[in-house]
Amino acid sequence: MITTTSTKTLDTLVGMGQIAAGGPPQKMKAVVGSCIALSLYHSRLNRGVMAHVVLPDSAGRGGAPGKFADTAVPQMLELLKEFSATASCLTAKLAGGANMFGSSGPLQIGDANVEAVAHALRAAGIRITAQDVGGNRGRRVTFECEGGAMIVESAGQPTKTL
Amino acid sequence: MLETAHDNVTTLAGLQELFASATHDASAAMCRWTDGIITVTLDEVRQIALEEVAATLALGDDPMTMVVMTLDGELGGSITLMFDDLGGRQLAASLLGRAVGTEPEWSELEKSALMETGNILGCAYVNALTRLVGMDLRPSAPYFIQDFGASVLQQALMTQAAAGDNLLLCDVGFHRQGEKLDWRVVFVPTPGLQASLQRSLHSAP
Repeated sequence: MITTTSTKTLDTLVGMGQIAAGGPPQKMKAVVGSCIALSLYHSRLNRGVMAHVVLPDSAGRGGAPGKFADTAVPQMLELLKEFSATASCLTAKLAGGANMFGSSGPLQIGDANVEAVAHALRAAGIRITAQDVGGNRGRRVTFECEGGAMIVESAGQPTKTL
Repeated sequence: MLETAHDNVTTLAGLQELFASATHDASAAMCRWTDGIITVTLDEVRQIALEEVAATLALGDDPMTMVVMTLDGELGGSITLMFDDLGGRQLAASLLGRAVGTEPEWSELEKSALMETGNILGCAYVNALTRLVGMDLRPSAPYFIQDFGASVLQQALMTQAAAGDNLLLCDVGFHRQGEKLDWRVVFVPTPGLQASLQRSLHSAP
């Protein structure tokens, strides 16, 4: 599902595979483990978009574009075109990609997600200005469309502002 | 072959029956482990759209205390016991015959009591499902995790998410002497185990 949200709504929960775009005073929120919360922000237009990426590679499969790193980034750019934002003026921030069951645990996907998102951003010519990735902790992420800050909270850890 | 809405409802109803039977065995094991105080019942076998998992399960965004066991391989999945911090501590205290812990950090003994609970409940499920599918399912050692519920379930759901946009999971509730508790077990079968369970439904007399 893709949403272009109204600025009347302050907080938007971005579920697994979803993408949301908007402007101030809106905030977009996601809780991620091995998934990635990826924001793209245009500072002059003060507009942004956030995706909740679940898996690294669509391998041609259908489904919500926000679910896979390789389909999420092009779809985010498409949404930002509505605000006349071009890739060269955007900055990216990302958080997530944890291995919740430890580095030797099962169902490891976090590292592959981080790599795939970075690859998709490079291919689109977008630079990553900040990231908080890896480890074995979940993250509660808030992306503020006003100023483009990404606030990352982890259980038992100090809050970080990217 | 495309599954019609009617087929889907029939499959979910069949899986509901099958998991109710496995939950009956798990509840008996839980009842023995807690001296008859705690039982479990199957709330629902659900099919949930990927993006709605956290909201539908009302996981909130506060940290929870969890014990996770995984079944590796094609016929695999995961079993996650989820507690609010106080609920988990109350269960550990009752199992250890002690007052509820008040230190911010859980003691190794408290963690061990909760992990053993996960082990007993998980193995009861695995044994029941092994009988149903006629294949050996092997659970991992339990993991003790204190974190956001949605973060942990995301990783448990990865194998299903790779196969499709609708996720199947079994939501199991706890009761203490008849009173429903705010604790739960979420069982997430892999697509391979789901298919195997469905075959066992169709081949049942």
